[in-house]
Order: sequence, then C-alpha cells, then structure tokens
Amino acid sequence: MPQGKLYDTPQAALADVQDGSTILVAGFAGHGVAERLLVALLEGGRKDLTLVYRDGPYARAGSGPLPAIENLVSNGQVSKLISPIPFSPGSGGAIEERWQAGRLDIEIVPQGILVERLRAGGAGIGGVFLPTAVGTRFEKDKEKRSFPQGEAVLELPLKADYSLIKVAAADTLGNAIFDGSSRNWAPVMAMAARITVAEAGRIVEPGELDPEAIISPGIFVNRLVAAG
Amino acid sequence: MPPRLDELTMARRAASELEPGQVVALGSGLPVSVAAVLPPNAAVQLLSDGGALGFGASSDGHSSTGPALSSPDGRPVALQRGGAVVGLVDWAAMLRGGHVDVAVVQPARVSASGDLLGWTTAATPGLFAPGRTVDLSAGGRKVIAMLPHTGSDGSPNIVADSSPVADGRGCVNIIITDIAVIRVESGALVLSEVAPGWSYDDVAAVTGAPLVLDSNLKEIAPNLEALNAERAGKLFPNGPSAIADLHDGATVMIDGFGGPGGMAHYLLVSLRDQGTRGLTIISNTIGIARIVNFGTPAGKLAIDHSILVENGQVAKAIATYPVSPSASRPSTFELAYRRGEVELELVPQGTLAERLRAGGAGIYAFYTPTGAGTLIAEGKESRVIDGKEYILEQALTADFCLIRGHKADTLGNVVYKGTSRNFNSVMAPSARITIVEVDEVVEQGELDPELIVTPGIYVDRLVIRPEGFSPYE
Repeated sequence: MPQGKLYDTPQAALADVQDGSTILVAGFAGHGVAERLLVALLEGGRKDLTLVYRDGPYARAGSGPLPAIENLVSNGQVSKLISPIPFSPGSGGAIEERWQAGRLDIEIVPQGILVERLRAGGAGIGGVFLPTAVGTRFEKDKEKRSFPQGEAVLELPLKADYSLIKVAAADTLGNAIFDGSSRNWAPVMAMAARITVAEAGRIVEPGELDPEAIISPGIFVNRLVAAG
Repeated sequence: MPPRLDELTMARRAASELEPGQVVALGSGLPVSVAAVLPPNAAVQLLSDGGALGFGASSDGHSSTGPALSSPDGRPVALQRGGAVVGLVDWAAMLRGGHVDVAVVQPARVSASGDLLGWTTAATPGLFAPGRTVDLSAGGRKVIAMLPHTGSDGSPNIVADSSPVADGRGCVNIIITDIAVIRVESGALVLSEVAPGWSYDDVAAVTGAPLVLDSNLKEIAPNLEALNAERAGKLFPNGPSAIADLHDGATVMIDGFGGPGGMAHYLLVSLRDQGTRGLTIISNTIGIARIVNFGTPAGKLAIDHSILVENGQVAKAIATYPVSPSASRPSTFELAYRRGEVELELVPQGTLAERLRAGGAGIYAFYTPTGAGTLIAEGKESRVIDGKEYILEQALTADFCLIRGHKADTLGNVVYKGTSRNFNSVMAPSARITIVEVDEVVEQGELDPELIVTPGIYVDRLVIRPEGFSPYE
C-alpha cells in the first residue's frame, strides 16, 4: 500500500495502467529517464499504448540491448508513437518494421510544437496559434490564420493518462527539483498527465527543499518511487 | 579536386558569422562543433535544447562541475559563468518569441529560395525526424545552414527547386559547406567564398542550383577575434538613466502582485519624475496598494501605479483590478475613469498572465475557457473544442517592462524573492526593453544556474534600488 504519494515499487505505482493508455515519457539524451518505471511498464504488459517521447534512441531501461521505447514496441504493447524523433536516423529497427507493416501509427511533431501542445494540455488551453509550422509540411490539415504578427497555425492541446518522469529529488508532497538536462520535458509532462509518476533520486520530508527552487510543484506529481 | 574543409573549419566559418552579445541556438550534427571552436571568452550565449543556455564545449568530455547538461546531440557540455538551466518550454519560447539571434542547423538539403529539408530516410520517406529543425528554422532571426556540399553519392545537397515538403520555408540566410559559403539573397544563391583551391566553376559543377558569383569572391578564412569583445554592460547608474528613452505614448508593463512587495517602486518614482505622458499600463492592479494600505506604516502611502495616474501620465490601463475593493475609497484610476480621462481594458488575472506569456513566447493567440459566457467574452471569438466553450485571447507585448527582481548577475540573469516572482517573471520576456530593479548585482556565475528564473536574454537593463529606498512615501 502506498504511504501518501510514496509507492514501494514501480510496479505498484503503475498497477492501474490500462490497455489503451496514453503515456508521456520524459528524457533528453539519456538524462531524466525514469528507467525503473519503464521496466515496470514493460513487465506490466499493457497493450495498445500511445507513447509520447523525445528520447527514443537514448532512453534505456534495464540491461536489455534495445532502448526502452523500442522494447515496448517489440513487445507488441504500443499502437501509436508521438515524437519529434521517433527513432535514431538510420536505425529504425522494430519501430520502422512495424510502421511499414501497418501495425504502428506514428505522429511526428516538431519538438517546440509538441512541448507547447503539452503545455496547453496541462494549462487548460483549448489551442494555440503558433507560427512555427507555417510553410512547412506540418501545417497540413491544420487551420491557418493571419494575425498582426503574421500567419499562424492552430495547434491543439495534448493530454495524457500518465507521465513518467525522473527527478533529482522530491519531498513526500511531490514537490520536485531536477538536475541539468533532466528538467527538459519533465515539468511540462507532469502538468499534462492525469497521473504523474516520478522516479526520485532522493525523497525528503516536506520543507527540506528550498521553496524558491522547486520546479514542479507537488500538485503536478501524484506518485513517487525511489530511483533505487 | 582540392581537399574539402573539415568539420572544425566549417564550424569556425559559421562562428565567424556571429556577433558579440548574440544568443545562438544550435541544432545537432555539424552545428554542435560551433561550441568547440568558440574562443573561451566569446561574448555569445549558446542555447541547447538539452537545457543549457550559455554553454561551451566540455574540455574533458565530461561536465565535471555544475549541472549535468547535454548538447543538442547528447554530448556533455559545461555551462559558462552566467549560464542558466532551462526547460524545453523555455527553449521553445525563446525561439518562437524572437529571443534567439541566430540558429545554426544541419539540413539534408537547401533550395535556392532558402527552404530547407531536415532528415528523411530514402527508404521510408513517410518516416522522418524534424526534431528541433523546424523550431530552429522558424525561430532564428538569422539561420545558418551547415551541410556537406554533396551527398555520399555525389549528388548536390543545394538544389534549385523547393520541395513541396519543407521543414523551413525561405528561412536560410547563409549556407556554409565543406567547399563554399553561399548567401541566400532574395531568391538567388550568391557564391561569396570558396575553400582553398576551389574555383567558381568547381563549386557550380556540384551545386544543383544556379550560383551568382560575388564580385569579391574570397577564400574561406575564418576569423573569430571579434567575438572576444566585451559585452555591452546592462547596469545603469540609476533609475532616471535607465528609463530616459521611455517615451510619451509607450506601452509599459509593470506589476508584482497587489501590494508593495513586488513592484519596481524606484523605477515607478523615476517614471513619475520623468513625467512621460500618454502611457498604456499593463498590470495586475492599477493602483490598489495605495488605498488598501496593507502593511503601510501610519501616515504613509504605498507607492504604486496611482502616482502615475495622479500625475496625469496614464491614458489607458490593461488590468485585472482597476478598482478599489471599497466603494467608499475609490482608487485614483477609478476616479480618473469616472471623469473619462482614462481608458480601461479589463482582463481576468489568469488570462492576463497567459496573454503576457503568449507575447513573450511567440504565441499569437490562444483559446481559454476563462471568461467564456461572461462579459469578458464580448467581442471575442467563441469556440467549442471537445465539448467545452473557449474564447480567443490575443498575445500582449509592450515597449517597456519595469521589473522588480531580488538579485541579478551582470548578464541580467534574475532571481526573485517570494511574491515578486508573480507577474514580474511572466512580463520580462514580453517587452521590447525590460528593465529590472534589484537589490543587488553580482558577478556572472554567482547565481546558481538551476535557480535562475528570468534568464538574462530577456533583460536589457539593470538598476540597483538605492539602499534604504522605501516603497512608501
């Protein structure tokens, strides 16, 4: 049984993940990857998942040879990927194979648009007009309008059931701080998911973190597991 | 054919396009080498989507001190003194909001009109990885494309026709390859420099688009000395000098939260003394602290926006709390409004914060549920998205922003104290000129890079609040 937000194991923290869940996976170049949670997701065997991530080639979990995302795809658990970089150039592996076989849907979204869609999802915004995609292949099928600043394209919010983030330290209320690059996607993913599970390098008592230094307030972090 | 330039020489040539004081966002691949060739004290700030603003190459391949940070391609980098750790939301906002002077990208192909295409697999063109390329192409005020002149099969990477699919449209200003430097000028490619031993004809033979020959064709010879220049200082001697160019009719953002704790009082008094008129003030309150008087010592009045209104300097307010909570004690602005002397645009507090953020983050407009079905929605587009009603709100920007920070370093990185973070931090990126009033200015590197709330790229001027200055008068 969890004590407050603190769960004994990553498996327990992800026990209610259902088939068909949308899951945000934080990480940048191997920083801030919630490895124990990704292993638990793999072991849990839930299927038909939609994964939103940036760090496909780097996010490793456990000792297997494959990155975690590719492991989950190989394991037949994933039906859709949303990513700016779905796989490392030239090494698509299982992701490319399944996509070609029509067994995997891939939505490719430029990084800055993806992060703003997540922020909109987390902040209750119904949509944002961004100039980024104008004139590119990413304006296809989207509403485009003129503003005093120029043309912009309507980008819709992205929300998820879960987000899996790695934090340097959290207090038991879920207030969290990060280390360097691991901040990257994590705070915005924490906002955009119904349930955010944080794998914490350190777990401390409330009051031990400098309140001016907290990046993700505990209201965005629902569950904690120790990074181990 | 003569040898082609190596990666580091290309990087040095790209770096010699930079000017002191610039913010430069790097893409992956060849652009990352720019970090390796910059002089150690170069007065530019490199931005990585790995969360580093103001980084340099890590000398030993490891980020031995400070936060664990990576370059755009995942290699460890070290922050320079005065660097800041940023999240990806910040990175995207810096690019989209026009805060990045130069973006350096490695596209797969560039067209004669400056369009670029990122990476696409030949075998499965439906799969590709725009990653950060689209954001960099759209966001950099100047875009430098670094790429090999030809593909591994010898085919040109610089082509005449734009592809119907592009990751950036008309965005490339200069192309730096392993044999040439080509400027993109109103739809024409101008060959301005060649690698040693290469001629116009040699380069034209492996270029898939017509090349105009620059009358002053040079050999590529990068020179980075100019980058060692001193940075322009941001610290002004006092309030009046920092706001001297704040002109009649300007739009000015100023507020902390409610009371006297969070406002740039010293700059407010400087603005009153300057007497600038016809101002549009964007703020949370427009002079409530002076009548609410929470915490005000007996016989004193809080300094707030009221002092500008009393002085006849304000033409319009865009604000959340324009009136006093007590009908018997109307605010100065309220009285001026009743007399028809000032205009008012009323904005709910959360919408104000979001409109300010949009202004600084390059979001032109957004749908918010706040105010739908109320007076606030009048005259605005309403739209149902996923069964919920939203209204369209526009971004807010300003000519000037007067900020109350706690501490800054000389680069303009700012930390706040308590409530003053509130509106100040969201306003800072949204004005053309942001002026920060702080208690203390420290040297670069003395603020913890993980704790910087407003990075210096958003801050133009610093003023130290005089010792003993009182927010009451």
